[in-house]
Parts: sequence; structure tokens; C-alpha cells
Amino acid sequence: MKRTFLSLAIATISMMAFAQKKTSTSATIAFDASTSIDDLPKAENKTAIAAIEPEKNTVQFEAAIKNFAFANPRIQEHFNQKGWLNSDEFPKATFNGVITNPFAVNFKKDGTYTVTVEGDLTIKGKTQKVNTPATIVVSGSTVKTSATFSVKLADFDIDGSPVTAGKVSREPKITVTAELN
Amino acid sequence: MLIGIAVYFYYATRTHEDTASLKIDYTVEAIPFIKEFENDYKAANKKYAEKIIAVKGRVTATEPADTTMNVKMADTTTGSYIIFAFQNQHMAEAKGLKEGDEVVIKGSCSDGVYSEILGTYFISFKRSIVATK
Repeated sequence: MKRTFLSLAIATISMMAFAQKKTSTSATIAFDASTSIDDLPKAENKTAIAAIEPEKNTVQFEAAIKNFAFANPRIQEHFNQKGWLNSDEFPKATFNGVITNPFAVNFKKDGTYTVTVEGDLTIKGKTQKVNTPATIVVSGSTVKTSATFSVKLADFDIDGSPVTAGKVSREPKITVTAELN
Repeated sequence: MLIGIAVYFYYATRTHEDTASLKIDYTVEAIPFIKEFENDYKAANKKYAEKIIAVKGRVTATEPADTTMNVKMADTTTGSYIIFAFQNQHMAEAKGLKEGDEVVIKGSCSDGVYSEILGTYFISFKRSIVATK
């Protein structure tokens, strides 16, 4: 009787741990708009928030635009200006998506899984669909995720002479990594 | 033409100064600082965004961020927090910190934003250094 009760308790705790939303407040989002003629327009934000809810297969990210750190102060300034990301008016970038092939990942079993994530990416008040492969590594209660995809600046109303001059890529690469607990 | 090239070269090769050498705009205590954002984040952002701030408080968490490390000071009653990303040359100082340490961290305050995911405010700093431990 005691053993049955103990087994049930362990199973319940395991189920609860699995169902819990996993989050990180130190997810990294790297933005790389460098081109063959300019290596400067790239930055990292290491304080993004990420969440995965295994039970609902949802994936979320939030990043403060002003915390993208560029090596070059002038480019940092341009990035936040009205004509570019306009971070005073639109301080956050967000992503809300789902794992479209949830049977490809088992959050209860350690392993490396390749999934597809689809969702809405909102930058500068404009929302666009993103569909990207992502890697999920389950190790005990920790889940590591990574994904790389490109966005079109024009889709988010971001343009300017550096883009036309080829100094800023029209389709920057975004790399997202997070360790969620 | 030469002046143009020189100006371009100057701006293209410029990097952020070491935060240790920058003048402090504000010195604050972590919890009242967080409260300012919770009470009126727009006013707080106007006052503190992109300013060099020294924050005195207790480390509530240290978190790996890719190959680096972030430090948090949180208001445990509301969940809102300050998060510091460190300047590369000062990363070793950050890695020496642990939960419970009383410290002063100096950095460039990016801004404070409400997180829909967490339901709390988070105030991000970049290019931080440990001022005193």
C-alpha cells in the first residue's frame, strides 16, 4: 500500500515538473546584419526572456531592443533611432509560437531533438510569421534550445541608406539560444 | 577626401569605453530603483535609459548566458528584477559573484520593460562592471 502511494506521488511530481512552464531570463539573441563591405552591424542581447510550455507546445521570447549591445557606439545609436528600430516607441521584440511537430520531442526523456517552430515575430510594431527549425536538448529538468533564421528588414518597415549602400544586410540572421529551467 | 576617410575610420573603429572609466550619472539602491519602474516605467525610462548607473543591492541570482554570465537583483515580493550583462573585460568579476553577495554594480541602463511572459518588470543593463564587493 505504502509502495503504491509512493509510486503515485513520484509519478504525480514528475508529471507536474513536466507540465511546468520552463523559463529563462538570460536567453541570448544574436543579430547579424553584417555584409561583405561592413562587418559592424551585429549585436547580442543576453538578457532576453524565453519560455517553453511542454504541455501546450508553446515557445515565447521577449527582448528589450535597447539591450542589444553593439561593439560600435555609433551603430548602437543608429539601431535605436526612429528610422530604424525606434526603441523609444517600440521597446520590445516578441515571438509567440508553437512547436508544429510536437511528437518529434519528448520533454520527459533526455536527448537532442529537431523540431519546427512557427509563430509571430513582432518588431517595431509589425508582426510577421516565422517558421524555423530549432534544436531542443533535454537534460534532466533543463531544456536548451537554439534556432537560426533570417528576417527581411523591409517586412518590419526598416530601411535606409546603409541598407541601399549594402552596408547592412537586407536579411539579417537571427540566432536564438536559451537554457530553460 | 582624406578628412572624409579619417572621419569614417574614426567612427568605424570606435568602441565603447571601459565602463570603469565612465562618470556615474545616478547611484541607486536596487529595490527602490525597481519600484520606480513599477510605479511609472515611462518616467523611469526617461530618467535612467542609456545613463551610467551604480546599483547597490544583493545578488539574488547568477545565470549563464551563452558563454558569459548575468547577475540579477530581484524584488522578491513582486518578481520584478534588474539584470546585468557584463563588459567582456570585466566578465571574471561577474563570475566571482554568488547569490547573497552585497555589491555595487555599475553599468549602462538600457531600459525597463514589462514582460508579458513573466508578468513582471525587468530592467536591463549592458556593459556592466562590479564596482565594489
